[in-house]
Amino acid sequence: MNDKKIIEFTINGDAHTLVCASNTTLLEALREKAFLTGTKRGCDLGACGACTVIVDGEAALSCLVLARDADGRAVQTIEGLAADGKLSPLQKAFVDYGAIQCGFCSPGFIMSATALLAEDPNPSQQEIRRRLAGNLCRCTGYQKILEAVDAVVAAGGTNAIREMSTAAGGGR
Amino acid sequence: MRLPTFTYYQPSTVEEVLAALAGHPGARVLAGGTDLLVNMKHRVELPQTLVGLSNVDGLQGIAREPERTVIGARTTLKQIQQHVDLGADFPALVQAARAVGSYRHQTMGTLAGNLCQNTRCRFFNQSWEWRSVRPLCYKAGGEHCHVMNKDSVCYSTYSGDLAPALLVLDAAVRVEGSGGSREVPLADLYSGDGRSPLALGPAEVVSAVVIPGASANGRSHYEKSSLRGSIDFPIVGAAVFSREGTVRVAFTAVDRRPVRATVLEAELSGRELTEEGIAAAAPLAAKAGRVAKTTIHGVPYKRELMSALFTRAARALL
Repeated sequence: MNDKKIIEFTINGDAHTLVCASNTTLLEALREKAFLTGTKRGCDLGACGACTVIVDGEAALSCLVLARDADGRAVQTIEGLAADGKLSPLQKAFVDYGAIQCGFCSPGFIMSATALLAEDPNPSQQEIRRRLAGNLCRCTGYQKILEAVDAVVAAGGTNAIREMSTAAGGGR
Repeated sequence: MRLPTFTYYQPSTVEEVLAALAGHPGARVLAGGTDLLVNMKHRVELPQTLVGLSNVDGLQGIAREPERTVIGARTTLKQIQQHVDLGADFPALVQAARAVGSYRHQTMGTLAGNLCQNTRCRFFNQSWEWRSVRPLCYKAGGEHCHVMNKDSVCYSTYSGDLAPALLVLDAAVRVEGSGGSREVPLADLYSGDGRSPLALGPAEVVSAVVIPGASANGRSHYEKSSLRGSIDFPIVGAAVFSREGTVRVAFTAVDRRPVRATVLEAELSGRELTEEGIAAAAPLAAKAGRVAKTTIHGVPYKRELMSALFTRAARALL
């Protein structure tokens, strides 16, 4: 009952070996065993999206994935987006467009948007809203979040925004 | 909320799945986890053994032949949407898959998992703390149904989106068990009993859904009403299929199982759908199912919604 097993998987490209009980979720493994607390525990039931990570290229709710089922898989978290200390285009857009207030929903939103743009660099407005609809935000009213994602899409996808100067929305 | 403790098996074949189920009373299969794990966190479902399907061969894939389409049980809802011609031949199925939960529920959720989801009720799908102010409800193992204020009966609501679409597409399910493989009409998967909604043996698992080729020649549509445009279960969901005078109508969230609207179908059968015919038949939609107030929505409102959603779905076929 609730036996522990060794699981081996990569997080943001780094190999991790963790000992997990049956009832450990991927969210708990990331936060409490790998000490990567960027992924948030919101509702813990799959209804808020704060726990969103990318598993084998697909967005997933880590609160509803058993850590044991992540064995052998490639997991990406918010900590893995910045390369060489530089924010990813989506991260920078979220900062520049005022899409972050308390910041609790932000990792989940950014991971959802990252998964979307990796699959489709030029999604329609409707598709952006559909893909992000599972992420809830209590602070911003969503407008700035959508503007940030739109800006990255308009700038040609995730590679272009590094050159983009701070546009409408200020930025500090 | 931590999950309760359990033993977890991760088999590689269907045979191993069946053996694990047979060897552990009360064992449950785990596919996407978006239904079962939530209920376990709420402590309303407490299997001591889970049998994970993520490493099992033979439960995936979409095979299209002229006589039938076979969709593996573990096909995700996103894979159903992405398939190149499923949407053209079975629009209601793809529309229903697109209507489930949020995008992430569609990447993780599976076809069979959605069909086999547990029934729902505002007194059942709550945390242990929330439920502890009342006596345990009948579905959760107690004596009393708080919806109807009666003992020894459960009035929960089956709320899956895919079932009505597959019912009107005349689908069957393939079930694997100790006696081998059997194929049953989808309607027979559901017992109609709120406490144990699935007519599956303890060591049985759904392996595929089979849609007859004849259904590909018809037109179908799924219409869902929900509080928000995403994440929410249907208040009511309606699916309609029509082909050369055959009309099938099914609803979800109106009973302890998905239902065919047989009175409505009888009224429409034998002739082509028309605006006038739809309008005249719409009031009969409300006769289907045994609607109970398991959410904040009252019974009269849901019955009106049944007529309205039938009308919208049927008009989409004109």
